[in-house]
Amino acid sequence: MSRHRFVRNMDLDAEMEDDSEQVGMSSEEQARMATSMPIARALLQDVKPPIADAAIADSLWHYWFDVEKAVTWLRKDWERKVAKVSQPPSVRSASLPAKSRNQPVASSSKPSTQPNTPKKSSSSKASSSGANTPKVAASGLTVAQQDLAGLHLDDEMDEAEREREKERYKERPGLNMKQEELIAKVKKEEEESGKQNISLIVVGHVDAGKSTLMGRLLYDLGELSEKEKVSNERGSKRVGKGSFAFAWGLDALGDERDRGVTIDIATTHFATPHRNVTLLDAPGHRDFIPAMISGAAQADVALMVVDGSPGEFEAGFERGGQTREHAWLVRSLGVKEIVVAINKMDLVSWSQDRYEDIVEALKPFLVSAGFAASKTTFLPLAAMEGINVLENNEDTLKSWYDGPTLIDTLDKVEVPARPYDSPLRIPLSNVFKGQTAVASGVAVSGRLCSGIVQVGDRLRAVPGDEVANVRTIEVDEDSAPYAVAGQNVTLYLSGIDPIHLAIGTVLCPTSLPVRLVTRFVAQILVFDLQTPIIAGTAVELFHHSMNLPATISKLVSISEKGAVTKKSPRVLQKGMTGLVEISLRPGQGGGRTPSVPLETAADNKEMGRVLIRRAGETIAAGIVQEILA
Amino acid sequence: MKLVNRHIERDGSGYVTLRPEDDEDMWHVYNLIAPGDEVRALAVRRVQTVSSTGSSDSYRVRVNLSINVTKTTFSPAASTSNGTGQEKDREPTASLQISGRVVNENDYVRLGAFHTLDLEANRDFRLTKQHGWDSVALERIAESTKEGRGAEVGAIVCGEGTASICLLSEHMTVVRQRIESSVPRKRKGGTSGHDKAMESFYKSVYDAVLRLLPYQTLKAIVIASPGFTKDSLYDYIFQQATLQSNKPLLNSRSKWVKVHANTPHVHSLVEALRAPEVAKMLQGAKFAREGLGLEKFHKMLATDELRAWYGPDHVALAVDRGAVGTLLISDDLFRSSDPATRNHYVEMVEAVRARGGEALIFSSMHESGQQLNLLTGIAAILTYPLDVEVVEMEEREEKERLAKEKGGGEDNEGEEQTVKA
Repeated sequence: MSRHRFVRNMDLDAEMEDDSEQVGMSSEEQARMATSMPIARALLQDVKPPIADAAIADSLWHYWFDVEKAVTWLRKDWERKVAKVSQPPSVRSASLPAKSRNQPVASSSKPSTQPNTPKKSSSSKASSSGANTPKVAASGLTVAQQDLAGLHLDDEMDEAEREREKERYKERPGLNMKQEELIAKVKKEEEESGKQNISLIVVGHVDAGKSTLMGRLLYDLGELSEKEKVSNERGSKRVGKGSFAFAWGLDALGDERDRGVTIDIATTHFATPHRNVTLLDAPGHRDFIPAMISGAAQADVALMVVDGSPGEFEAGFERGGQTREHAWLVRSLGVKEIVVAINKMDLVSWSQDRYEDIVEALKPFLVSAGFAASKTTFLPLAAMEGINVLENNEDTLKSWYDGPTLIDTLDKVEVPARPYDSPLRIPLSNVFKGQTAVASGVAVSGRLCSGIVQVGDRLRAVPGDEVANVRTIEVDEDSAPYAVAGQNVTLYLSGIDPIHLAIGTVLCPTSLPVRLVTRFVAQILVFDLQTPIIAGTAVELFHHSMNLPATISKLVSISEKGAVTKKSPRVLQKGMTGLVEISLRPGQGGGRTPSVPLETAADNKEMGRVLIRRAGETIAAGIVQEILA
Repeated sequence: MKLVNRHIERDGSGYVTLRPEDDEDMWHVYNLIAPGDEVRALAVRRVQTVSSTGSSDSYRVRVNLSINVTKTTFSPAASTSNGTGQEKDREPTASLQISGRVVNENDYVRLGAFHTLDLEANRDFRLTKQHGWDSVALERIAESTKEGRGAEVGAIVCGEGTASICLLSEHMTVVRQRIESSVPRKRKGGTSGHDKAMESFYKSVYDAVLRLLPYQTLKAIVIASPGFTKDSLYDYIFQQATLQSNKPLLNSRSKWVKVHANTPHVHSLVEALRAPEVAKMLQGAKFAREGLGLEKFHKMLATDELRAWYGPDHVALAVDRGAVGTLLISDDLFRSSDPATRNHYVEMVEAVRARGGEALIFSSMHESGQQLNLLTGIAAILTYPLDVEVVEMEEREEKERLAKEKGGGEDNEGEEQTVKA
């Protein structure tokens, strides 16, 4: 009954979920789609206003390319809409049976956009041969009707819900068209240039050399100028911390330099031949884990730096060290690939035995934390000397190591699929005042969890009731006309007072704002902890850069391998997975209960991940299952 | 609080006359007065008269009114005190309102008319309990009228850009001010935004400290934060004090303690106050004891789940079996409007004490009390392990047996022990 097993169970679930979202149509299915599409379109020729291709495709898919049934369904749907002429028609997302392809809801709402934005398809429709539509429709009707009755499509939704749905899909049309084109363009560009965006978080125990390694990497790549390096060297020598010269490239705060400890995430970027890397250098000290979580929530890949010098690896890996907690954290925040850099190998004179000992110790642990063996890479290096960072020029190392260097490894990391089609979500990790001439005013930065943003977009800041205009977009310190999911951006906004923006605010489209939540149900995985979780445990809830006091208000159930084994348990011990209800704690002396912008993991994965900490320990990671209030 | 008069019979009936003096007394009074009790105090009542010609006239009279309490409201910091660090006597800031029907008629007020009494500091009132004085209530009177009040402590819980300035007394934690300022995080190309924002943040904390913390009279002032904020804040405060040659503040330097806390939220006060360097200064203050009690419970839960029970029903079972070593109970439970419920808890406390156990009554105005409230408000550390499920099963069997014996008639005791399966 080891904890590791549980860990694996949960991660498997998560993995499976990942896959289902990525599955598109197979080539065979695409072929079938291509053949049945024109037929269906022809059959629907007489329908005015015309029905969008996407809607046709959707219903074709649903009826598994049965043209007749699909057409009947579409007609019926269309008739229903025509019936309520008073309002602009809108298809409810629920009206397509739940079985339908796991496609963004946007497509099913497409018909409603038709009256305003005629599509190319309408012209092509006119030219295609006219088939005997009425007959087909009549003959298919009875069968289809039965099918439909079975699916409860005719059941009237209650009025309030319909209103809500209508509300939800208002204002979509204009945006949609542009977005689709943009997404296509982005995908094409990515293919042509062969460069993909990726965010890398650097984690590891305090003083493992994270900042130094990154400083060295940036210097070797020419991102950090010789002048800066020299001034950092001089500065760090003056305060008697010569070994921090490279770290100073990233540790810019006064406190950080004085104490020789990274306090906050440093964000910068560099490019490898095939990747544009956004680098997030995380603090290793346990007090600054909140900053590290905020960074890890923005990352795709983790670089774990491990101190190879005698005794230091053990100190970081044993209980109380940050190595374990960091690995769990990044994994539960959605990072699937990890590169382990075993640093300071020069201090053990490039001993192969030492390297292998460390690899052997880490391998099973990383597997237990949920990193697949194929997604884990180990490399020996020395950050201060810059060996095996860009190239391996140390003879002792060459004699037994011929694997890739750090930069080669980073160039090959896999880029996860980006949810371009989901509504835009940007959880802010920083709010500041722009100081340059071109980009002044209110500036915010964060990573696009999903969707796409362009200059001129109107964005709603949640929490709050304020709308801002995007004036300039900055990606990797260059201005860009747009940014897509997965990129770290700085947005310069107009029309909003910075008082309405805070670290943790989420920017969304005005039409599809994220919900503010005070109580929700989450599936959690309990980590190593000192005292078990009971109903009423006071915890801190971490969600992106937010950090709020909360309580586990109810223990709903314990599950094992996806099956519920015990309902309303008294305690949750370490290693268990279970369903719990989490409520935010109201401030003392009454007042408004705080709320957090959150979505279920099913709606938006990155917005549905939470971490639960107590007394400076991460005690559980969870995914939001249901929003209660 | 001063006990002016006390007239309590053996059977618990009778009255006391009390004179509250500060905020904490108001909290005690709030906990003493339950709906149904009779309170007599000085009141200002607006009287309206209508003359024979139809013109109305209204004036205020000061009368002593007795009311039968229907509702009490307490607010810990209704008004902002203007007490600076130098000032010795601070005006109480808490307010307590008691509404109810008048039970003694006089020339101005009819019987049964509603009145809301505003209890004030340094003014006597008389309290008669409807269901008599129980041990918990008497204990509270004894505690609150004791000379030489326990430690008063100031605390600043902070992080980058957030700070809560709190005042702790024996029974209350009052957050006097919450400061939140947005601090830009570091980014490439200059950290001046961060440094500037931190500077102004420290300044507003410093100003709030001068305004809200009576640092001359406090026993200790705790600065708690994760990371280095506490050190920077401490340095800033004394640097400013030196610049402004604020002698009293500089003299209080020995009372300032820096403690590590894991979060910048108020709830990490519990762990901050457990730190040895603070505990030493507080020497068994009530809130320190409460914090330790709660910690002990959590530790027990981790090491031996069968010896840490919580929830009213479960704890009641444990008390019946004489298994409770330490009872942790929140004063929230005693404030129940139903006298039977209150009595039930009073009996539990008495039973535990009679068996030589310890009963800690947590103040729900402290963070530890609030955390206990979240755990249903009652918890117990048992002297020997007991399995909840076994006990529940035994209880059920016992009940069935009793039910059989009595031919279906359930006695009261059985009723009380009913446990949700």
